[in-house]
Amino acid sequence: MKLDWSILWGDAGLLILQGLVVTLQLSAWVLALAFLLGLAFGTLRWVGLSATEPVCWFYVEFARNTPPVVQLLFWYFSASYLLPGWLFLQLRDFGYEFGAAVVALAIYHGAFIAEVVRAGLNAVPKGQFDGARALGLGFLQSLRRIIMPQALRITIPPLVNESVAIIKNTSLAMAIGVTELTYQYKHIDIFAFRGVEALAAVTVIYMILCTLVAALGQLLSLRLSRHMTARRGLRPVLSSE
Amino acid sequence: MIPVQFERVWTAANWERLLVGDLFNKGVMGGLLLTLVLGLASIVVATLLGAGIGVMRSSPRRALSLPSAVYVQAFRSVPLLILIFWAYFFPPVLGMQVSKFTSVLIALTLFTAAYIGEIVHGGIRSVASGHIEAARALGMSPLETQLRIVLPQAFFNMLPALTGRYVVSVKNTSLAFLIGLADLTEIGKQIGARLMTAPIEVYVTLLMIYFVVNRGLSLLMRLLEDRSRFNRIFLRI
Repeated sequence: MKLDWSILWGDAGLLILQGLVVTLQLSAWVLALAFLLGLAFGTLRWVGLSATEPVCWFYVEFARNTPPVVQLLFWYFSASYLLPGWLFLQLRDFGYEFGAAVVALAIYHGAFIAEVVRAGLNAVPKGQFDGARALGLGFLQSLRRIIMPQALRITIPPLVNESVAIIKNTSLAMAIGVTELTYQYKHIDIFAFRGVEALAAVTVIYMILCTLVAALGQLLSLRLSRHMTARRGLRPVLSSE
Repeated sequence: MIPVQFERVWTAANWERLLVGDLFNKGVMGGLLLTLVLGLASIVVATLLGAGIGVMRSSPRRALSLPSAVYVQAFRSVPLLILIFWAYFFPPVLGMQVSKFTSVLIALTLFTAAYIGEIVHGGIRSVASGHIEAARALGMSPLETQLRIVLPQAFFNMLPALTGRYVVSVKNTSLAFLIGLADLTEIGKQIGARLMTAPIEVYVTLLMIYFVVNRGLSLLMRLLEDRSRFNRIFLRI
């Protein structure tokens, strides 16, 4: 078998670059939405209202214990039928696989981030909150000014792990036809019979992306905890890739 | 609003296909059974491989710790889907024939072993250094210290993280459908494609099956975490 790497400098390379752009867009959307979801549900579970707890439990446990790719198929093929008819038809004409992938992966990773946020908030001593309230800060104020800044330093390492996991899990979006990196590899394999070269290129791109994000996270984590002596971050018990 | 009727999916023939695939009429394993076999096999092999990698990673010799660190970093920064594609599409280029099951098993095992190596490494580091010094002072050899003092303590420290990894492994077997292996997800998709009228019921059923399996696995692993029960059952003390 003779490998022809020069195809990567032609149309195939352009396809891979287009795939990279879609992967980055997808990752950014998923990261933003998953972080918001995780922050909301994590804080809600930390507060521990008995009225909302069953809903939070159901969301977190269901999202974490089912495969992301089946969730993706569910949101793309099933949930779209629950939308009102006119909206569904409009979406179908427009193509909604990117949106479905964002929703599905954000919901999946949101559950993991919720657990990270809850663990981070729990790791701040209870006296900090009581002290803040005793000094006259309101509930939200003490959460935002006293608890969150301390929790942030603890949650950075697992959050970085989640970001890396999100980049890797965007590859699942090819199952519903989002034209990201893995999809472009498949495309090149089918139309140009240059699967090995394309696969190698895609693998290297993923490696660089993930290593870069992990290294940036390491720097951020070191910077935020420079006033501490070698304190280890919390590790999430369930991981998502 | 489309009426949801699970009876359309939950017929006896569909249940059989979902649970065991074509095991009884063609002798080909599939469905939930294949998912469980794949998950269990990869968990067992990856745990053994990962334990080796983790112990190597914790070694003070760079010749041992560096290769395992490189392995862990390399396999953790590539999506599993890409590894599955490598394992399935690359061997034929070299003239080898690899079945879908084998290629998914290899990819999943190598991928999971990297994470388990990291968990074992963390577990070993979590054992207080005073225990190691005490064991050495009592005259135990380095190997004996590892086997009798460090690893038993590390095992209980890393159980929660291992449980998480095992659940992820079972979840990840669902990627096998992307190369056409007849696992639970693929059979579910096939049933949905054949019915054409039950898009919601099929995937909700799949999600429920995976949920039950993974929660069951988590609860089963939690039984091990009770140290006195573990000793009573496995060590008879």
